[in-house]
Amino acid sequence: MRFLRSSLRRSERKRRKRARREERREKMFFHIVLERKIQLHPRYFGPHLRDKLVAKLMKEVEGTCSGRHGFVVAITGVEDIGKGLIREGTGFVTFPVKYQCVVFRPFKGEILEAVVTMVNKMGFFAEAGPVQIFVSNHLIPDDMEYQAGDMPNYTTSDGSVKIQKDCEVRLKIMGTRVDATEIFCIGTIKDDFLGVISDPSAAS
Amino acid sequence: MSGEEEENAAELKIGDEFLKAKCLMNCEVALILDHKYEQLQQMSDDAANQVSQVFEKSLQYVKRFSRYKNPDSVRQVREVLSRYQLAEFELCVLGNLCPETPDEAIAMVPSMKTKGRIDDDEQIEKMLQDLSLIKKFE
Repeated sequence: MRFLRSSLRRSERKRRKRARREERREKMFFHIVLERKIQLHPRYFGPHLRDKLVAKLMKEVEGTCSGRHGFVVAITGVEDIGKGLIREGTGFVTFPVKYQCVVFRPFKGEILEAVVTMVNKMGFFAEAGPVQIFVSNHLIPDDMEYQAGDMPNYTTSDGSVKIQKDCEVRLKIMGTRVDATEIFCIGTIKDDFLGVISDPSAAS
Repeated sequence: MSGEEEENAAELKIGDEFLKAKCLMNCEVALILDHKYEQLQQMSDDAANQVSQVFEKSLQYVKRFSRYKNPDSVRQVREVLSRYQLAEFELCVLGNLCPETPDEAIAMVPSMKTKGRIDDDEQIEKMLQDLSLIKKFE
């Protein structure tokens, strides 16, 4: 665990070298500092207390989702561990931990790329990392029609553009909804420069 | 929840927290997550079972959609884009989507023009050319 911590600090340093000291605004992935109170059972109070605390933090936080910060993808480093407070009645101790992590938070109005996971006549579902996005058929260009079959898809009248499972699309987020455990978005491909990505640098 | 009604990425309206936060491009996240996965693999043979589904999905996603694989190119991209007066969000969108034409760039990042920092299509053209050069020589 100690090895993990010092290596994390190294990668954090590398990242800081790359980072620019500019005002940062939203995009999908953010690197932010969060705080959380971690409770620890007295059996862990020993020489590896800090390691156990970090391990518990990672188990509790990584992979979770909140409305404010989005999905916590990975914890990159622990900034500070405050003084532990013993809870009355039990022997548990609560530590306030400040940690840095990579979060994924989609925003309304954002344009991003996603992979199509399912196509049906109501529209199609796409996934961008841990986030599910639904594009309704009302927000798909009118010249694309649904075609049922083994591989249901949306195709243009001349057959030049096809949206089916596993293809990559560029879409715009119209709205987001946050559940207890996940974020769900509605998207559109009806604007300019959105739609299937045929080669890495073009979409129309 | 009502705060989210006002947010809009196209106009650069987001929460205060994210104004202060650092923004990461897909390629940068790919490097971070790769590094973390390797560390987990070194510590135990069973790394695949230890990481959460969110981590797995994010790793697959950023690997698939990162334009630049090389850490040096990633650094160069950030340097090139920082020379222009862009907000972090705009920088990351451009780095992620790599538009080819100034029109596309403005469609992806409408706030670039509306905030009045970059009026010139030529500037945008130059920026996009620099980006594609980095990709070519990666």
